[in-house]
Amino acid sequence: MTGTRPQGQLASAASSEVIIEIDKMNKWYGAFHVLKDIDLIVRKGERIVVCGPSGSGKSTLIRCINALEEHQEGDIVVDGIKMGKNLKNLDHIRTEVGMVFQNFNLFPHMTILENLTLGPIWVRKMSRADAVETAMTYLERVKIPEQAGKYPGQLSGGQQQRVAIARSLCMNPKIILFDEPTSALDPEMIKEVLDVMVELADTGMTMIVVTHEMGFAKTIADQVIFMDQGDIVEQNEPAGFFENPQHDRTKLFLSQIL
Amino acid sequence: MAFVKSEKTPDRPAPLSERSVTGWMRKNLFNSWFNSILTVGTLLLIYFIVKGIWDWGFADATFMAENRRECFDNSLTGACWAGVIDWLDNIFYGRYPRDQIWRIHYGGLMLVLWMAPLWMERVKGKVLIAAGVVVFYPFLSGYLFAGGDKGVFMQLMVTGAVVALIANTANMITGLLKQESLKGFLLRVSGQTIAPDKTQRNILLAITGCAFAAAFIWQMNWRVDAVPWTKWGGLFLTMVISGIGIASSLPGGIILALGRRSKLTVIRVLCVSFIEVFRSVPLITVLFMATTMFPLFMDEGFVLNKLTQVIIAVVLFNACYMAETVRAGLQAIPKGQYEGAHTIGLGYWRMMGLVIMPQALKHMIPNIVGSFIGLLKDTTLVSIIGLFDILGMLRSISKDVPWLGLHKEPLIFGAMLFFILCFLMSKYSRYLEVKLSAGNRH
Ligand SMILES: Nc1ncnc2c1ncn2[C@@H]1O[C@H](COP(=O)(O)OP(=O)(O)OP(=O)(O)O)[C@@H](O)[C@H]1O
Ligand SMILES: [Mg+2]
Repeated sequence: MTGTRPQGQLASAASSEVIIEIDKMNKWYGAFHVLKDIDLIVRKGERIVVCGPSGSGKSTLIRCINALEEHQEGDIVVDGIKMGKNLKNLDHIRTEVGMVFQNFNLFPHMTILENLTLGPIWVRKMSRADAVETAMTYLERVKIPEQAGKYPGQLSGGQQQRVAIARSLCMNPKIILFDEPTSALDPEMIKEVLDVMVELADTGMTMIVVTHEMGFAKTIADQVIFMDQGDIVEQNEPAGFFENPQHDRTKLFLSQIL
Repeated sequence: MAFVKSEKTPDRPAPLSERSVTGWMRKNLFNSWFNSILTVGTLLLIYFIVKGIWDWGFADATFMAENRRECFDNSLTGACWAGVIDWLDNIFYGRYPRDQIWRIHYGGLMLVLWMAPLWMERVKGKVLIAAGVVVFYPFLSGYLFAGGDKGVFMQLMVTGAVVALIANTANMITGLLKQESLKGFLLRVSGQTIAPDKTQRNILLAITGCAFAAAFIWQMNWRVDAVPWTKWGGLFLTMVISGIGIASSLPGGIILALGRRSKLTVIRVLCVSFIEVFRSVPLITVLFMATTMFPLFMDEGFVLNKLTQVIIAVVLFNACYMAETVRAGLQAIPKGQYEGAHTIGLGYWRMMGLVIMPQALKHMIPNIVGSFIGLLKDTTLVSIIGLFDILGMLRSISKDVPWLGLHKEPLIFGAMLFFILCFLMSKYSRYLEVKLSAGNRH
């Protein structure tokens, strides 16, 4: 899979162990067919970037992966567990799959530290002391340990998004999903968040990232997926995807965005 | 042409109209002829009203008299407060036996002691404290007020309440002195801070068990005379009814509101019907239904006293109103908060309890306190169905032979009392709102 990568690109950490398997998955919102026959295999340590025009179903796809949305047909198997109506399974999947949102979704009534320790204490049953220690480790990793006592509303957007990433990491998930993590940020803050994400990719975390930051995609992605109107139209390694797109819709999209 | 400012502009004092009292008055009260006339007219009006009240209520009023005749002899144009003063005990305690009134006072003090930690910065675990008050205090004070023999259930609840109150107070003391919880303190003193969780839990359970046993033995010999509910009255009765209403309407409202949003159709339909039925009927109707119809549906022999029926009615009625307040508060929470909670694996109850409700309650404080104020005032309706709450007592003064026909003063006194209570509540809610929102402006 590696082949000829441009300079600066991260080495792939992907192993052969499959962690997400989506098979002929379909989803409707009422009568509206949002996702059509989606097939996708993600291996442990793999980093996948999803792009595509607005409304193409990118968010819906990754929200299905951690059961924020229900799908109607086909199978999604995450970490060996098939997603279904079983609520216990859903909770397990949600603990193993972290997610970072466009608008952070931090809990405004809690300090940063409380935001980070909530899951570990209540879901992972960690002791408070351990949870705080973990939280501080990750806050250092995202370079804002000094903000631990503040409330989310007192932080800049970039800082909040880094806290959100740290909050996911504190749960020690196997996969992290990102839904346009930088689109709500001012330009000067985008870099600080992307830097953190690149470092995260470096640690071998399995990541699925919906983003329009093509430079970022080139740096970290093992695979780039292009979606349009509910279909996965094209999937390729970044080199091939950007330099030699096959599908007309991909070409059009890339010409608009690059 | 380019312009570059070379020096910093110095600060100058604000114009006079912004700084001095006379300047402010000239700008706001006397800035035109019309406004000046309005100002003077209003001042005159206020003067006459205040003077009228002063003369009637203080200057010409009678505070000491044996009966209404004497009041008239003293002054024909002043208020006769002597009647209210003569009846003060009745207004506050109804016909509660005079030598037992200490029980009411103790009950009140106990509530203060129990709730005091809620206002203490150094004491943690406020939710648990509040839950303890709501669950246990009614039983302890209930027995204290009603007295008589305790059934098995009551014995257990009183024991639980005693243990809870002692633990709560001890927790307050360790919190104030050492800023640690009672649990931490006990573990530290027994030298088990680093023991495994299981050992720690067993030690705490053992201590609780001993405390429970001791309290149980103590309460077996604790007995106070029975005071039938028919002797309860006055402000005390109003406080009992509205206190229970206030304490239970919020939990009840939360449960109903969550039920209303439930995915399970049966629960949802039940909650919706319940809420809508109670909300579309006036309280007085509910009270009449509770006292006249309710017994008809019950088995023979299952007799609830009128007070209990009234309390149940008030609780249900207010829970339904509260449910709508809670629903509105929940709607103000963005979807992202639910999703954020889901993605860290919180299940439904933890998500609601830790993430959603705390935020929603914050939004709801003004409305919640508004309902509480309404509840306090609405409980006076029970005087219509024959309970002698504060309003009932105030109105009986005019039927008491020495004070025959004394209507105005008691009602004005009652109005002032209610005003003070309600005003304090609403001021406090303002303060809470400001305090709670200080930390997390968006
Ligand atoms: N809850 C919903 N109910 C009905 N339709 C929805 C819902 N959520 C999304 N949709 C529709 O589904 C389609 C896909 O939405 P989705 O949010 O997945 O797109 P997206 O690719 O993430 O777009 P964007 O780049 O704007 O975020 C859109 O047409 C949207 O209008
Ligand atoms: Mg989207």
